[in-house]
Amino acid sequence: MSSINAGRSRSAASLSLLLALGLLGGCASQPGGGTEASLSVIKIGCAAPLTGDQAQIGIDHCQGVQMAVEEFNASGRLAGTRVEILKMDDQRNPAQAVNAAKKLVSDPAVLGVIGHFNSSCTQPASAIYHGAGMTQITAASTNPDLSKQGFKTFFRVAATDDVQGPKGARFAANQLGVKQLFVIDDKTTYGKGLADAFEKEAAALGIKVLGHEGITQGDKDFNPLLTKIKPLQPDLIYFGGIYPEGSLLLRQARALGITAPFMGGDGIATHTLVELAGAAASEGTYATMVGGDMKKVPSAAAFVTAYETRYGKLGQWSAYGYDAANILLKAVETADAKTRAGVLTAMRTVPSFTGITGSVVFDEKGDNQNQFIGIFKVTGGELVYVGPAE
Amino acid sequence: MSWDVFFQQCVNGLTIGFIYSLIALGYTLVFGILQLINFAHGEIFMVGAFAALFIHALLGALPPGPLNAVFFLPLVLVFAMAVCAAVGAAVERFAYRPLRHAPRLAPLITAIGVSFLLQNIVMLAFGPTDKSFPDLFPIHKFPIGPGGAGITNLQVLIWTVSIGLMAGLHLFIRNTRAGKAMRALSDDRDAASLMGINTNRVIASTFLLGSAMAGAGGVLFGLYYNTVNFHDGYLAGMKAFTAAVLGGIGNIPGAMAGGVILGVLEGFGAAVISSEWKNVFAFVILIIILLIRPNGLFGSRVVKKV
Repeated sequence: MSSINAGRSRSAASLSLLLALGLLGGCASQPGGGTEASLSVIKIGCAAPLTGDQAQIGIDHCQGVQMAVEEFNASGRLAGTRVEILKMDDQRNPAQAVNAAKKLVSDPAVLGVIGHFNSSCTQPASAIYHGAGMTQITAASTNPDLSKQGFKTFFRVAATDDVQGPKGARFAANQLGVKQLFVIDDKTTYGKGLADAFEKEAAALGIKVLGHEGITQGDKDFNPLLTKIKPLQPDLIYFGGIYPEGSLLLRQARALGITAPFMGGDGIATHTLVELAGAAASEGTYATMVGGDMKKVPSAAAFVTAYETRYGKLGQWSAYGYDAANILLKAVETADAKTRAGVLTAMRTVPSFTGITGSVVFDEKGDNQNQFIGIFKVTGGELVYVGPAE
Repeated sequence: MSWDVFFQQCVNGLTIGFIYSLIALGYTLVFGILQLINFAHGEIFMVGAFAALFIHALLGALPPGPLNAVFFLPLVLVFAMAVCAAVGAAVERFAYRPLRHAPRLAPLITAIGVSFLLQNIVMLAFGPTDKSFPDLFPIHKFPIGPGGAGITNLQVLIWTVSIGLMAGLHLFIRNTRAGKAMRALSDDRDAASLMGINTNRVIASTFLLGSAMAGAGGVLFGLYYNTVNFHDGYLAGMKAFTAAVLGGIGNIPGAMAGGVILGVLEGFGAAVISSEWKNVFAFVILIIILLIRPNGLFGSRVVKKV
């Protein structure tokens, strides 16, 4: 069964690769490229799920990276060089993430990568980038173990789940007055890690944990589990996972008559959750997010306007992809040698970076020392910022 | 487990079980006649869901109203079934018929190729993300127990449509000339052809029927879960294939029963053991059945009946 599955995924991946090559080829052969031929080309990768159920979140992320790259090229900060973006689809599948990583490191023009999205994809891919000495900045993977592998090539902008989970638990106990809750996770590196961190802190705060069960990514029917949860009457259902399963859980819970609010992490903090679950089913859902409301941050205003003019509604991860790409581009700009080693050295020596999402200061593990967690709540069909999670 | 939870799990299991049954029929019909496992069948099911999405968008986003169940839903169902029947027949004509006399493995590999093709066509046409499937009518819940167990009007609809379609198919195969020809072909293809039966036409109509059932399953699946994605056919197809084998592949009432049994067992497995093992449970059932009854629950010793 797994071999058939892998075969299918490969075909979809190779198709998207072909399309990507076709697009790149199309760009290169545009007329008026006389001066472009003399430009040297530097590539940066953007690896995320670009097809499949999580595609929206990956597309949001890579569009942020795309805008950073285009602004960089337009600014002419690096004379004689054009930066290109190489998008890689990992289909939220660890095996595909490894394939994507291998393709990126095999192209000598690629000096760094923004990605991946899921922690379960970032983990195996980070070993390949480390082996190739290539800088990797993840904007979204939040599992704390990722930075404990001792890879000098690994950086992340997002706060980690050992901060996000407990802060969510404190919010549930202090602000929502939750007495008993049920925990669900999607059994992935991210989902389980976050749910475990949440559960541990919730139990320490005296909240009764009625149970903790896993579901499978890609499954659609969660009625058996929810039917089991209903008579336990939890005050809150916590879900460690991503929005495709999150939205189905919400719809099915409401259809069964479960009225307890849901809470989750950054994986469900996206307007796509509301679109898929419907405004009625998702109303009152809480989500922790590794940042605040981008639409209210003055430093992000110009980006938000430009993004929404071009792509429509701002994705929850677009600004983080944009910031991560700008950090990498700054390292490319300041590097003495425009090589992978040069970029990595520049990354390690840049003391801090002020992006549109806030300041980014990497510690020696590559984690961002600025670990802010905000709370969002679905109110009237919109994801509304509530405040810092405490 | 309280009675309330028990009833609710039964209702949930039956609902998804009927959808499995509708898909399983296509596997079983084709296998009965060609001894071919049509692995592209799960994709036909997925195409059905997208066909419904397409016609809904074409007719304009109608506000969900109770009358939609009477007027609009039959239209969506018929359209999706027609699209799937056409796709199924085309797949048979261009992917399987040229390989009719090739070794058994060749059409199996073509089937996998066709399923890639269909997935990628739908992905390019509708986009790579999850698509939200609209509610056609407001969902109401009718209580069936004191503690809040209930059945929704949508679930009743899924049961009614599935039972209606399966009964119709059963009567068609029992009582019509075309049905008789299908049964003849499944008994002995060469002899049937000697008796003047146009085998190609009968095989094409078998694909037509099976694909139409899967198309209806796709519409009901979309209505029930409200999101569809271009790779939804894979897992649903595997489950339905399990259901077909469970009931005895080639056996039509077996496929119907197999789907329902699988849906209910899966639900109880998830409830009693753990939801983490829900999908594993389905395939463990398959292995156990194959060990104890290699021809499935309702399969005869020589699996040649349609």
